[in-house]
Amino acid sequence: MSRLTGGLIDRSAALSFTFDGRTYQGHPGDTLASALLANDVRLMGRSFKYHRPRGVFSAGSEEPNALVQLRRGARQEPNTRATVAELFDGLHATSQNRVGTLAFDLMAVNDLVAPVLAAGFYYKTFMWPRAFWEKLYEPVIRRAAGLGRLSQLPDPDAYDTGFLHADLLVIGGGAAGLAAALTAARSGARVILADEDFRLGGRLLAERDPLEMPVPDWIAALEAEFASLPNLRVMRRTTIWGTFDHGVHGAVERVSDHLADPGGRVRQTLWRITAKRTILASGATERHIPFADNDRPGIMLSGALRAYANRWAVTPAAHVAIFTNSEEGHRTARDLAAKGVGIAAVIDARPDVPKTEYRTLHGHVTGSRGRLGLRSVQVTAAGRHEWVDCGALGVAGGWNPNIQIASHHRGRPVWDEAAQTFLAGPGGPVGLTVAGAAAGQGSTAQALASGARAAVAALADLGIAAQLPALPVAEDQAPDATPLWHVPGKGRAWVDFQNDVTVKDIALAHQENMRPVEHLKRWTTLGMATDQGKTANVTAIAVMSELTGQPIAATGTTVFRPPYTPVALSVLGGGDTGPQFRPRRLTPTHSWAEAQGAAFTEVGPWMRAQYFPRPGEATWRDSVDREVLAVRAGVGVCDVTTLGKIDVQGADAGAFLDRVYANAMASLKVGMVRYGLMLREDGFVWDDGTCARLAETQYVVTTTTANAGTIYRHMEFCRQCLWPDLDVQLISTTDAWAQLAVAGPRARDLMSRIVDGVDLSNAGFPFMACASLTVCGGLRARLFRISFSGELAYEIAVPARHGAALMARLVEAGADLGATPYGTEALGVLRIEKGHAAGNELNGQTTAQMLGLGRMVNPKKDSIGAVMSRRAGMVADRRVLVGLVPVDPAHSVVAGSHLFAEGAVQDTDHDQGWITSACHSPHLGSAIGLGFLEDGAARMGEVIIAANPLQGQQTALRVTSPHFIDPDGGRLRD
Amino acid sequence: MTDLTPTCAFGEPTPRTHRIGALTLTEDAGLGLASLALRRDAPAPDLTLPGPGEWAATGDVAVFWTGPGQWMVEYPGGADRDVAADLALRAPGCAVTEQTDGFVCIRITGAPPALEALLERLVNLDPRRCGPGTATRTGVHHLSVFVVRPAGDQLAILGPRSAAQTIWHGLDLAATRQARVA
Repeated sequence: MSRLTGGLIDRSAALSFTFDGRTYQGHPGDTLASALLANDVRLMGRSFKYHRPRGVFSAGSEEPNALVQLRRGARQEPNTRATVAELFDGLHATSQNRVGTLAFDLMAVNDLVAPVLAAGFYYKTFMWPRAFWEKLYEPVIRRAAGLGRLSQLPDPDAYDTGFLHADLLVIGGGAAGLAAALTAARSGARVILADEDFRLGGRLLAERDPLEMPVPDWIAALEAEFASLPNLRVMRRTTIWGTFDHGVHGAVERVSDHLADPGGRVRQTLWRITAKRTILASGATERHIPFADNDRPGIMLSGALRAYANRWAVTPAAHVAIFTNSEEGHRTARDLAAKGVGIAAVIDARPDVPKTEYRTLHGHVTGSRGRLGLRSVQVTAAGRHEWVDCGALGVAGGWNPNIQIASHHRGRPVWDEAAQTFLAGPGGPVGLTVAGAAAGQGSTAQALASGARAAVAALADLGIAAQLPALPVAEDQAPDATPLWHVPGKGRAWVDFQNDVTVKDIALAHQENMRPVEHLKRWTTLGMATDQGKTANVTAIAVMSELTGQPIAATGTTVFRPPYTPVALSVLGGGDTGPQFRPRRLTPTHSWAEAQGAAFTEVGPWMRAQYFPRPGEATWRDSVDREVLAVRAGVGVCDVTTLGKIDVQGADAGAFLDRVYANAMASLKVGMVRYGLMLREDGFVWDDGTCARLAETQYVVTTTTANAGTIYRHMEFCRQCLWPDLDVQLISTTDAWAQLAVAGPRARDLMSRIVDGVDLSNAGFPFMACASLTVCGGLRARLFRISFSGELAYEIAVPARHGAALMARLVEAGADLGATPYGTEALGVLRIEKGHAAGNELNGQTTAQMLGLGRMVNPKKDSIGAVMSRRAGMVADRRVLVGLVPVDPAHSVVAGSHLFAEGAVQDTDHDQGWITSACHSPHLGSAIGLGFLEDGAARMGEVIIAANPLQGQQTALRVTSPHFIDPDGGRLRD
Repeated sequence: MTDLTPTCAFGEPTPRTHRIGALTLTEDAGLGLASLALRRDAPAPDLTLPGPGEWAATGDVAVFWTGPGQWMVEYPGGADRDVAADLALRAPGCAVTEQTDGFVCIRITGAPPALEALLERLVNLDPRRCGPGTATRTGVHHLSVFVVRPAGDQLAILGPRSAAQTIWHGLDLAATRQARVA
């Protein structure tokens, strides 16, 4: 065990966990990484490309190396950073990206052939032969890539979403964030403090005595005050992963990732936090200094060594060396020495080495040894080499402010020459300010003061007065800045550990002219994957700057985008899966249809009855054919509620409809219905429906099911924006009324049985009549004599709550008439037999003329799309709607097939049209179809070829009228 | 009176209700609704018409703002009556449309903190903007709804009747999860 004294772990409780099958013990307060180090496990993973042995490198969310798989079965989660995985009893962790054991990974052979796997290897190598890419290269690369493995099982956990609103959001609960939250919360402002850690404090927890009082005491007092302030919400285990427009931030709260069993809780919650102002107090990430072989387990950030010793009371080794270019390394040495860790040496790159109580050398680390873990480092001082034995090396190369979130919205970081760091630049998120180490205010005293000041300023912006609080006296040693970007040498010096990018790779990119930072990134994969280069990017930019001779400020940065750290797709998805994945709309007769055993089909968000199977019917066709024939012979009933209904009122309602419909509506008589055709601005057909005039100033128009929402929106746009001078009021009534189609030669007989005292004779209620009336003993209803099936037909609308009962009543009352419920399949067959256009025909590429409705575009008035529909190109289209039947009745008609003259070459130049709709017509006893065919009206009886090249079909079809039944329309007028 | 038996928005004969911890969800199947829109040159209706974002009970009805010159009028217990005809009498010359069955109304009762915690999970609305006497058109569970707050301990979600199941699923799940952690 490598436990030290002290620390913020609860030694009174032991937690048992496994890593690669071995059982270990840790304590509450541990992360997986700290617990593994406490159990002398330094080797935690294999690198992405060369499969080099790797250990933990950091103590936070910036970790590039220690990626593991957590949990098992369906809850297995790959690529999780051991440094932020909170330990719980029973945690099951395994290493990943290996073939064989972690200690003996067969894929480490990649490291032996490293010289040929350099940056750009893929781009240069997998070019030839071309056929090998899909068959050989890609499968092999895919198998080798990707680090961890998914379980391939459905996610068993639940996820939640939510919305929060605040005056001020403070991102980060370290010194600056705590001071900001305290300052703001005391003012009474609504404040949210979010921190990714499970414990507030940030770097305060990682340092030895940064405050005049013990850190846990100060934080405990703060937390007690926080708990007493109802206007402050403290969100632990919550990562702000992105900032979006209008002060909206994405946040993921890990609700139960730290629990062995979620216990009915969700796993994570996706919060959208809307804040008027934001303070980014996200701290800083330490820089390392690349040197030859600097990636062995045991080599880590110097500040991480301090964090493990001070917070988790653990050291990776009994003897530790430090490589530094500032006082930071000495701080680590002193903290470790105070805990009894042996300091093998501090290698200080600065010429003026301070006098210390441990061995200090002026020089550089230039190499390392130890196959699966560090054994010694090579120190080069004054031209002499020396091997220093140590089990761990802390590297202190300065600090990079964590400005990622301030750089969303394409805010570009600015290089600060004095501080030798990138700081948040202009153009970032509106209302966001940066404080503490993230703003280059890196000492504890600076961080506390800058956090408090930032809060006062942010709230003053909102007109809220806040007072600077009394803050504890704190250490004030700001990190000094004389950067050492890398140690020149022959060996491989790693810059980006996660992507195995070395100084040499950057030099190669430079040599190949991949010099802009965005090119450098894509060419070498630097800064990609789960850590997004948090420990690599700035160093790489500096190395490139050195190679080009350009200053760092002119070298630039890549674009920062959300997420700051990886976010599970499950939590972004919001948690609803299966039938609740998206909203579903049910018709008023849904429960009735369910009870009848109907089969349902999705129509957009709607679930509609597709057909009603009866005992003895072997296939859906049997049911549909029966329903169609029942309508043609007697009467059928179908729920057509899903068609959009819009109530149009006002003194100018008629004038308004005249402008949105191609045909005239103002001239429609009260009590009558007219078919309406709507064009898009470009003159193509958009939608069709009926328009009923219920009163002088009231119309009810219908739309297709698919366009109900868009047509309503369009009409609102026209009303509000195009013609606000018109007196028109619109409101949707789609859901308010259950509407049932009653169709067939016995429809009048059936309707007469339910309508209260209205003469439904042809004279009393002719084709295209409408009326408000009552049914079934006084229920208010609307009756329309319109037909989609080509039969004598009505549509009856009643308040939706009565829809199911009315459907049952119609079927029951019409039993002797053969009343039959029919679904969308039969509806489709009936309208194809009649030659009525539907969504298949109105696909956005058809004109009124093609549909045979050209004369509906009224030349006596203007309407949307009318002028454009008369364009030369539109008028020149010779394709028109025709009916199609197979020459051999045994053949089928396939919608989507293209039409060619017999013997013609089947290519685009000879294409004469296409089939839009097809079905089996029980009325004709064969397949039929509708389609658009060049000069179709003049080609009745001609035989053409329907080509379906995808399935190799060539079918001879005879051109007919699109009206397969009752072409004169006698039935619907009877 | 018609002899047809109405069904509630969930296709059941009786309104759905569910008590979950401190919250109770109830379908208000009796609520009658009619929309009101002012017409050009129409006389002012004989009703108190609240301003943007507001809801107000006035006599036997309650009214909430839905858009410029537009309101929804609630008739408690009026679902089986022709409320549009009644409103047309009170607002002569205005555009009135029956909306009773256009919506499912789910009422949620509970202590204000519990209701606000529920709202946090459901609606992107600042709690300061949905106190008693407010009505907001917003989104819940991908659907367009009205969130009405008649009183501190009452909340009503009015959404498309056809999507009642989806809305109920969203509300019920959020309330259930809230009860679990409470």
